[in-house]
Amino acid sequence: LLWKESWELSKNPMASKGSPLHGPRIKLIEKSQGLFSETKEHNFESKAAEEHAKLLRIQHELEVSTKQAIFVDSSISDTIRTCIVLGNHRAAMKVRTEFKVSEKRWYWLKVFALATIRDWDALEKF
Amino acid sequence: MAQIPNLDNAPINLTSLREQSQKELLSILKNIRGKKCMVVDQKLSGSLSLIIQTSLLKEHMVELRHLSAEPIETDSTKVVYLVRSQLSLMKFICSHIHNDISKGLQREYYVYFVPRRSVACEKIFEEEKVHQLMTIGEYSLYMIPLDEDVISFELDLAYKECQVDGDTSSLWYIAKAIHKLEFSFGLIPNVRAKGKASVRVADILNRMQAEEPVNSSDIVVPEINTLIILDREVDMVTPMCSQLTYEGLLDEFLRVNHGSMELDASIMGVQQEGKKMRVPLNSSDKLFKEIRDLNFEVVVQVLRQKATSMKQDYTEMTTTTQSVSELKDFVKKLNSLPEMTRHINLAQHLSTFTSKPSFLGRLDMEHTIVEAQSYDICFEYIEEMIHKQEPLVNILRLLILFSVTNSGLPKKHFDYLRRELLHSYGFEHMATLNNLEKAGLFKRQETKGNWLTIKRALQLVVEDTDTANPNDIAYVFSGYAPLSIRLVQSAIRSGWRPIEEILKLLPGPHSESKRSGFATSPSYDSLNGAPADKLSDGRRSLVLVVFIGGVTFAEISALRFLSAQEGMAYDLIVATTKIVSGHTLTETFVENMG
Repeated sequence: LLWKESWELSKNPMASKGSPLHGPRIKLIEKSQGLFSETKEHNFESKAAEEHAKLLRIQHELEVSTKQAIFVDSSISDTIRTCIVLGNHRAAMKVRTEFKVSEKRWYWLKVFALATIRDWDALEKF
Repeated sequence: MAQIPNLDNAPINLTSLREQSQKELLSILKNIRGKKCMVVDQKLSGSLSLIIQTSLLKEHMVELRHLSAEPIETDSTKVVYLVRSQLSLMKFICSHIHNDISKGLQREYYVYFVPRRSVACEKIFEEEKVHQLMTIGEYSLYMIPLDEDVISFELDLAYKECQVDGDTSSLWYIAKAIHKLEFSFGLIPNVRAKGKASVRVADILNRMQAEEPVNSSDIVVPEINTLIILDREVDMVTPMCSQLTYEGLLDEFLRVNHGSMELDASIMGVQQEGKKMRVPLNSSDKLFKEIRDLNFEVVVQVLRQKATSMKQDYTEMTTTTQSVSELKDFVKKLNSLPEMTRHINLAQHLSTFTSKPSFLGRLDMEHTIVEAQSYDICFEYIEEMIHKQEPLVNILRLLILFSVTNSGLPKKHFDYLRRELLHSYGFEHMATLNNLEKAGLFKRQETKGNWLTIKRALQLVVEDTDTANPNDIAYVFSGYAPLSIRLVQSAIRSGWRPIEEILKLLPGPHSESKRSGFATSPSYDSLNGAPADKLSDGRRSLVLVVFIGGVTFAEISALRFLSAQEGMAYDLIVATTKIVSGHTLTETFVENMG
């Protein structure tokens, strides 16, 4: 039952997708994390919810600092890509360390992103 | 509409089945006098197009509309809704009615549920206070013939509903449909089922027979001798592999729907910018009937041969003087020209997909996974796919294949891949992963896998497959024999008993039963005494193979191959909840949010 409840919670914020009020959404996700963490079997789900909330926070900050509403609701990988495409390597790096993105994935993302903006020099160096 | 297939060559009288459905629909419409607007739910309109021509509907003063959130624009005062009993669709109807009321329009509303009304849906009408304004009825369309040997129950979501949502109402519909078939063609004496849902359907079927028996004395010889029910759950490996037959590939890349396909007109050589056209694909097209089940490699050869021989005929034509009868023959051959052009165009278009290195790499990987010898290579391949953010469904398909053949993944890998997926595609896919886990398609490894045993015992991997002159069903996947069809093969030949041990390794229970009502005619007892099973008029008797949760074109091709084998005493017909491909099947599990 608890499990079901937390699922409904974690689905709920999706329903309110696109609303400018991210505050309550993050809270809901955190609440579902709390519920997931009450049972042992849902370690994975709980961690995912935690990361999800963290991601939304970072994305929100990025949107404020870049003044572009293109981050929220994209995945971690997409966020990193967008950062690199915008030339904001520091932010990309920060997201990377924040979510412990593996070396392998990082390279793929960087290659794709650099190829998108045709930054061949950087691609060569790297 | 051209896509209604000609069913005259069907091994069983499917035309009558279609006519019955048509008649029922028309009688519903006749009972509503005058001009009316029929609003059809999108999904149903495909099914309807296989039953009735639009021109015939016009004759009955019907305007056709698709059901959507948009209010309906029509002058008719009578609106007939034809819908599946789905809650979201009821919301549309309610909003239409409310919209009419607010505009002061007075209309008569009729709601016909397909195939059956449901309490939940009517409850919505009550809550929205529109219940009083409408007449509710049923249009009991439980199945439609897709082709000479294929029947569809049109239950798109049956598999996901059973496996994830625990909603088994589709099983009742399936049993009802089979029972309806029995009313037309006689009680089926032998029933073999494998899988949880299948056994349930067999049970429901028996109960229906008890409550509302098919009178066996009316029909001297039952036309269908054996019913084999298979649950998709038993074999999730086959649909996840890329189909390599012509029809299968068409479905994989271009989506075949209700025996036809929508394409850019430019592919078919028509120079019209951005125009779409419908291409019918069924056995009324003789060339298609000939090549649909072949391995695509061979199709290209066959088409080339035909084209060359035609060219030869043509040059002969111009050089020598011909007799009138030879001329006639030549002109006859020319008649098949439009079909030739059609399939050459299609094949050419398909080969742009099949020659891509990414597709070949994928095929390679599928074979590696099925052979289950090199776990690490497969794991890394999938990992890289995720990192490259390839289309999600493609990845899930391989993942399911990988997980099923390994009876799940070790916890460490399971969690790692799940995390990488969420990171790459977004956390909203948590729900999708949850669906897959619930259905047992992508899960944590608990027991050691037995895929190797199954693979060996049923000879699923066949070396040296000659795709041009196949001697085994493995040709449809160029070397992998579909597990589901191996089971059917064995069920037809000798029943479940010889493979009981293997059946136990596969998910779900199995059952085998002989149904009463035939005590007086012992000759129907044995399925093994093949020659005795001939029907009196020399036709072969029938085996009906039902797939709960969908079947792929490649599997149907494999069954057709079986029924064309020498020494095969039966004609096979296939009935399925829906024709699926790995793609469409996986898609049903992807949760769409927002």
